[in-house]
Amino acid sequence: MRRLRSVIPALIPLLVVTAAAELAVRYGFVKSYLVPAPSSVLRAMIESRAELFGALLTTSVSALVGFLLSTVAGIAIAVFLSSSRAIQRAFYPYAVFFQTVPIIAIAPLLVIWFGYGTRTVVASAFVVSIFPVIANTLSGILSTEPALRDLFRLYGASTLVTLFKLRFPAALPQILTGLRVASGLAVIGAIVGEFIGGQGLGSVVDVARTQQRVDKVFAAVLLASVLGLALFGLINLVSYITLRRWHASEQ
Amino acid sequence: MHRRSFLRIAPAIALLANCGKSPGKIRLALNWKPDPQFGGFYAAPYQAHGLDVEILPGGAGTPTIQMVGAGSAEFGVVSADELVVARSQGNDVVALYAVFQNNPQGIMVHASRKLASLADLFKAGGTVALQRGLPYARLLEKKYGFDKVKIVPSPGGDISAFLADKNFAQQCFIMSEPLTAKHRGADVQVFPVSDAGYNPYTTVLVTSGSFLRKDPDRAKAMVAAVREGWRAYLDDPKPTNQRMNQLNPSMAPEVFAGVADAQKPFIETDETRRNGLGSMTEERWQTLIVQLKELGDIQQAPAADDCYRAL
Amino acid sequence: MDLEIAAGEFIAILGPSGCGKSTLLRMIARLAEPTAGRITIQPEEQFQTSFVFQDAHLLPWRTVLDNAALPLELMGVAREERYATARTALQQVSLYEAEDRYPAQLSGGMRMRVSLARALVAHPRLLLLDEPFAALDEITRFRLDTQLRDLWRTRGITVVFVTHSISEAAFLANRAVVLTKRGGGIKLDRSLDLPLERNDDLRMDPRLGHEMKLLLSAMEEE
Repeated sequence: MRRLRSVIPALIPLLVVTAAAELAVRYGFVKSYLVPAPSSVLRAMIESRAELFGALLTTSVSALVGFLLSTVAGIAIAVFLSSSRAIQRAFYPYAVFFQTVPIIAIAPLLVIWFGYGTRTVVASAFVVSIFPVIANTLSGILSTEPALRDLFRLYGASTLVTLFKLRFPAALPQILTGLRVASGLAVIGAIVGEFIGGQGLGSVVDVARTQQRVDKVFAAVLLASVLGLALFGLINLVSYITLRRWHASEQ
Repeated sequence: MHRRSFLRIAPAIALLANCGKSPGKIRLALNWKPDPQFGGFYAAPYQAHGLDVEILPGGAGTPTIQMVGAGSAEFGVVSADELVVARSQGNDVVALYAVFQNNPQGIMVHASRKLASLADLFKAGGTVALQRGLPYARLLEKKYGFDKVKIVPSPGGDISAFLADKNFAQQCFIMSEPLTAKHRGADVQVFPVSDAGYNPYTTVLVTSGSFLRKDPDRAKAMVAAVREGWRAYLDDPKPTNQRMNQLNPSMAPEVFAGVADAQKPFIETDETRRNGLGSMTEERWQTLIVQLKELGDIQQAPAADDCYRAL
Repeated sequence: MDLEIAAGEFIAILGPSGCGKSTLLRMIARLAEPTAGRITIQPEEQFQTSFVFQDAHLLPWRTVLDNAALPLELMGVAREERYATARTALQQVSLYEAEDRYPAQLSGGMRMRVSLARALVAHPRLLLLDEPFAALDEITRFRLDTQLRDLWRTRGITVVFVTHSISEAAFLANRAVVLTKRGGGIKLDRSLDLPLERNDDLRMDPRLGHEMKLLLSAMEEE
């Protein structure tokens, strides 16, 4: 109940803005073909609900798969990078590449490699979301307290044991931070991939745009935001469950 | 009336778009990169007609019709069906000059597939890349059905997917992408969309209704300059092609020249020889409006003579 | 410096900040290498060393019991056995009921006691402590001092205890070593003239004050 009540302050600006937008369009201050009235967005959502929710499902699956892949690969790469300074210096710059490459530019390349369909969308979500996982996981692993590492050395623990029993659990809060960022990016990556690859919410946005259906565009964008929020909430839930007994952030 | 005057005083969103523009400057927003379809616009003698025109090149998805409606450009280039849809939504834009008298939209396929018509294409399987939301695509869907082919988004001017796959068909301008593909060694065949009965004016110069009312003299001057520009371009495209090629190096110079040549029959027809380059008829607009209504792309049909103005 | 430590001794190492006492301790634990000279242990057989840091350094995601049992887990001891040993150690530091709690739920003093218990589970022959009680309040410190001393007596380990506190050094140790300010040298190496049995009464004993004065003057000189 407390959690529900804490959501109310966040809803107030939303209600105010929605009401203001509705009035602005209705009384002609803002042209409806530039900014759709919230009521028309709602209507579009209801009218095209089968199409929109089908697209939402498609995008959700692609975003989720891309996100899971970048979680696994990102953590694995970070573990690899953490093994030595020389390896970090050799390979970390290439990881940064994932952060800086503009997905719009490489999406057509992804289509050539993976074809038109889900694989391209998943690849796009993966490319866009992997870097925060690598960066945060690596940072978490490397910032284990030296005293604890000494402790493990004292009792003869191997590097691998130290990794799994000490560095990994200690890095968990930071890994989860990385996952929070990556989850939103995975949705963005999926949508961009869908512009090029042609399915899901991205496709709905693209097609509606060429039809000059701004209301439908907004409806699809709204659903994409909901998807991003849902993924974010999922990570928060995982964080709560795993950290609640011992980490300050969940207390 | 009260609503209109409020729009003039209040810092409405549309006015924000006008910030930073020097007084008297006219912006012309193109809906693609500089290429032969805009030749006449680049060749036009604007200064001789007392106009200070800035051409804004576009690309994939440039929202020219919204830009004109919002006032971030005084003139824009759109296709006629876009204009009809926009008008039906309350966007007061008016067509002044139609570059392509006939719709140059088509679907290009690999000649090796030995297809005879659009009907064949949609029965033959494979992939067809088109912009699904465009009215012509919806017309094709209605007429031929898309269940036997895989529809994917159009890659814009990029023909690499087409070149890589014999069973890939792609939306194009009849005199443009096929020439590029031939230049790269492909053997192509093109089916005009107009064969299916869909033939809107294309590459149409439009302006907003408010600009037309506020500044009819400059609108007239603009059309005159554009008409002269197209005449000049048709007679000798080389100097303008050079200018445009510099702005858009993605097309080879030979292809530029080839396209400029191939597009002539779309621009100069018996109609234009009678009534002048860029002229339009009410009948053509009315046909288009009826087609769009049938397709369900518009709810309310605008009046045909509201859609265009002969200046 | 030349320092010899005999088995079974309780030796306190004192010195001003920056004199290198923590480094010395880490070198003894083989966690750091000396830049000059060497550390030799005789006889040269394998034996277990335990280290207690200034901060308890418990793993926050593990229960008290799992924390205490950690050294045995790392050494490959089976679960039932290591839990039994850990429980005994926790009992010795009076923390038996807290075994299911998490470090975040414990006070500073309790956490230090878990750290102590953890140091004992591996049955170390050598116990090194680096200012372990410095961050705790006085009463807790007194209690833990007494517990440490008792553990030393019952288990017969060699204890090297680095501290800032003269009173603590005097109360706990049989022998006190004061290092020079700039490190690398010994100012004072003294066997303390105090009874074997140490309890709270000793804190009021003039003999303790006498030893403290000696240590203080050694530390103040320079």
